[in-house]
Amino acid sequence: MSKNQVRLVDTDIHERVQYQDILKYLDEPFKHYIENCHWIQEKHMPYTQPTVAGVDRADAVVPDGRPPATDLAFMQEQLLDDLDHEYGILTSALDPSPSSMHGWYEMATALASAYNDWQIDNWLEKDERLYGSVHINANDREGAVKEIERVGSHPKMVQVLLPIDDNMWGDPYYHPIYEACEKHNLMIGMHHNEPPVYYGKWPRYFIEWHTLIPTAHMKIITNMVFNGVFDKFPNLGLMMIEGGFTWVPHLMWKMDQQYRDLRHEVPWLKRKPSQIFKEQIRVTTQPAEELTRQEFESVVEQMGSDDILCFSTDYPHWDYDSPTRALPNMDPELKRKIFADNAKSFYPKLPNSKEGN
Amino acid sequence: MREQVVCKTTDLEPGEMLASYFGKQNVLICRTSDGEFYAFRNQCTHQGAPLDKGMVCGATTEESTPGDYHYCRKGEIIRCPWHGREFDIKNEGRMLANPDKKLPGFKLRIEDDEVIVYK
Repeated sequence: MSKNQVRLVDTDIHERVQYQDILKYLDEPFKHYIENCHWIQEKHMPYTQPTVAGVDRADAVVPDGRPPATDLAFMQEQLLDDLDHEYGILTSALDPSPSSMHGWYEMATALASAYNDWQIDNWLEKDERLYGSVHINANDREGAVKEIERVGSHPKMVQVLLPIDDNMWGDPYYHPIYEACEKHNLMIGMHHNEPPVYYGKWPRYFIEWHTLIPTAHMKIITNMVFNGVFDKFPNLGLMMIEGGFTWVPHLMWKMDQQYRDLRHEVPWLKRKPSQIFKEQIRVTTQPAEELTRQEFESVVEQMGSDDILCFSTDYPHWDYDSPTRALPNMDPELKRKIFADNAKSFYPKLPNSKEGN
Repeated sequence: MREQVVCKTTDLEPGEMLASYFGKQNVLICRTSDGEFYAFRNQCTHQGAPLDKGMVCGATTEESTPGDYHYCRKGEIIRCPWHGREFDIKNEGRMLANPDKKLPGFKLRIEDDEVIVYK
């Protein structure tokens, strides 16, 4: 390997569970409701993803016909071995997504536990490159803390996953969850989900919803920052997953300007929002717009930091980004940071080869 | 490599495609619904996805009006297996959303039941 080649740390890989696969990890009565009553999580989106094969790459179906990303061996062949990943962070297919359920919170909490056990047994302990996300039902706060205490110390769990939906996770009600994260050196990973709060309801077309996903990410960052989460928990980091990145400079400027005017309302902020962003928030790159090198480097310069971006493929989804094609050529040192070092520096539990761990 | 048999005409029904090789180059052989054959590089111009894993289909056309889909040209459009970009087989492999971009094509002829790609 030449010194300019970087082994990828992929910050967004969606492993997928099939409900029958987590039955053995579920207690009764919850197991019964899936096995015999055919429960599946509530769905709201009125359309499919108007691609060749819906939400997934058409070439990611497991050769035996099972859905994409349900089989480790095929993921190794198509992604981890083919691209020579150094590490991959599993972020799940968000189905089930316990924190997004609008009721039956006992079921949501049980699902989170079952999912974590399934993830550890079938992925984290089967491939040394894969690291995981702790699933919780944040609307059962005490249950969520208990689950972080139960599996958060697993050496390959690097973050706690929260959906971007109609919940406002910066609210002090949820702060015990962040306290538990800090205790276990876990970051927060956030990924958009249903329902689509940035419209209030679904727009008529999928392309409208998908175009404006970044606004959902901007909304929840604004909420976390101005509710004081990052000053209260200075060792907590937030990874924003799958919202792209070109919006970052705008949000930094906008939050700073609002803070100068309206600090009176949020006196618990000790730093400028943009400073909080630079120190505690990271952003995965996918889905990347097609930028020239000049445009790309200009956006990074406008962020005022080259520590923020972390490359992600989003495998096996249809809007997958290729590590060799999605971003323009760039300075080798910047490339090393975006494709590997920024993620290693962000996740305390991810081995950092630079430090010889 | 000046020319090479890439497949038999019977290997493809109208509306189907397959991957083959012309020398070391991975080529996509397409058969449109009128029975004609075409050859392109088997790689999306966007991020390099293998086009043979996508589909040959039709398209929602420019005749569509807001709220009213018009769908036709079945068997004449390639869609990428990843991002769904559409390429017009019968119009030099041009992308529907941006006709300035097109799939690199290969010359092709039929002799008896053999499909031959040549320079």
